[in-house]
Amino acid sequence: MAALDVASISVLYAASFAILFVGYLTAISSKDVIRLLISLEMMFGAVFMALIPLFSVAAHTAFGIAVITIFASSGELLILISAIVILDRQKKDIHTAVITIGGDQV
Amino acid sequence: MSADVLLLSALAGIAVLFSLGVLVSKDNFYSSLYMSGTLIFVAAVYALFNLQPVFVLIVFIFVGAIGIVTVALAATYRSEPVRQVSVFWAAPVALAAFIIGFSIYSYPIFNPPAASPGEIQFELMNFLSTTEYFLVVILLIALVILLLLSVLKMGIGGRS
Repeated sequence: MAALDVASISVLYAASFAILFVGYLTAISSKDVIRLLISLEMMFGAVFMALIPLFSVAAHTAFGIAVITIFASSGELLILISAIVILDRQKKDIHTAVITIGGDQV
Repeated sequence: MSADVLLLSALAGIAVLFSLGVLVSKDNFYSSLYMSGTLIFVAAVYALFNLQPVFVLIVFIFVGAIGIVTVALAATYRSEPVRQVSVFWAAPVALAAFIIGFSIYSYPIFNPPAASPGEIQFELMNFLSTTEYFLVVILLIALVILLLLSVLKMGIGGRS
């Protein structure tokens, strides 16, 4: 098992920041909701990576937070997938341009 | 630099490379595959620290369930999106990255090093024996089942 020293934590935070940053870039450059979904999943992946150092301080609390985060984010993505299917049924299009006012008009 | 840090750097570096593949790829299908690869390598970092329960949760729920649905959706709607990010944003982004990188580099110079966090000591059985955490897990599973049922109802209602 790898020990969690300062160098490891630096690598973890740097990689987490990089993945989050790429997720943001993908989200703002996306023109359809599928790409938006992919970018959201990557952002959640970055959050999971940033959670690892907490395990060295309070392992059980960190695992509880990880379980809650995994379930909550999965539910969130499930709702987004349903919204994509409904958007395609109603508008026959999945581009973000068809969403006129926030998500209310979907 | 120890072998553990090198291995961690390699795993994290591959995860970042896969995430760059999501951004660079113009096809949604390949982007979703790169995204699954990124999440698998993030889970592999958990496995490196002997946190196998989290590895299983991420790979089974995130990659296995949500990721596969995303790949299927992306394979259905394969399109090449038009980029709407201006290249002029590259300069401020590079400047911000330099400032953040220099801040991280210079932090140990101006601040004394903190105590090392040490090794991760986690046992799944100790976690599950705590009643509150076990109840939280049961509650979350019940909520996910309710969510699935409501999504199913929404889908059936939309069809009719």
